[in-house]
Amino acid sequence: MRFAAKLALLMTALAAGCAAPGKPAAAPPDTTPGGQRQPASATVIAPDNLPSAPIKTIEPPPPEQEKAPEIPAVNPPAAAQPPAKTTDKPAAKPVAAPVSPPKSKAPETKTSTKPQPAQEPAAPPPLALTVLEQRLKDTSAIGVFTKLALKNQIDDLLTQFRARHEGSSKTPLSQLRKAYDNLLAKVHDLLKSGDPPLAAAIMNSREAIWLVLTDPARFAKL
Amino acid sequence: MKITVNRFILLSAAALSFSIYVQAADNSALARDLTATLSLLGLPCGQVVNVVTQGNRDHLVTCSDKNRYRVYVNAQGRVTAEKR
Repeated sequence: MRFAAKLALLMTALAAGCAAPGKPAAAPPDTTPGGQRQPASATVIAPDNLPSAPIKTIEPPPPEQEKAPEIPAVNPPAAAQPPAKTTDKPAAKPVAAPVSPPKSKAPETKTSTKPQPAQEPAAPPPLALTVLEQRLKDTSAIGVFTKLALKNQIDDLLTQFRARHEGSSKTPLSQLRKAYDNLLAKVHDLLKSGDPPLAAAIMNSREAIWLVLTDPARFAKL
Repeated sequence: MKITVNRFILLSAAALSFSIYVQAADNSALARDLTATLSLLGLPCGQVVNVVTQGNRDHLVTCSDKNRYRVYVNAQGRVTAEKR
């Protein structure tokens, strides 16, 4: 007798286990169409499967469950009875599915009406040179040797700009610009995998930094 | 007594494994750092596959393309790479 009971329990557990996670194909059919089929055995199984076509193979019984799907559309899962709770969860999920598409539609309309404001906040503002320097020092995306080598090259470039502003060198601005772009490209390459925000911020600051470098008055304050 | 000895051996093995793991991670980070440094200096290397530390901020590196460099910080504070 005990064995029979254990066997029955085991079979039930196995059935429940098969039903729960892995049934993308079988469960979907029941729930999808109106979101009304969700309940019963399918309820626990397939929130994901909702969208597929209907198959009445597993139709569970209780009229309560049917009520649940209808109600949930308006009300969130406020189950009164424990058995109903299990069915309510699935019912709530189907409700969520239909609701989600409208949400996606809403953002689209919003974006269409206000595209520019959304893009503006996404782009980080140009960094001040001091901030940029500090962030480069603090980042863990590059090692000590790399930071030191980078500092050497930045110092070399600044020396060239200083010589130009002082008149001791007549290096064409186009050549300096090329060196500057190359250096920024190297920095970006170094940071893009380890510290993408800093890499993006540097690239966004490219023109602002260039203006500082080419303006003798602002350069002198560095 | 036996249990105590066994525990001691287990703990020692764990500590040793951890230290090896940490050292390997350090070496990996240093290799990546030196790879980036050589790339920044415009020297051909590929990936640094072996690092022999000769002193403070002085390393002998072997690259995946068989090039070998001594990478160090000179007296002027510049990172320098000499081909070997």
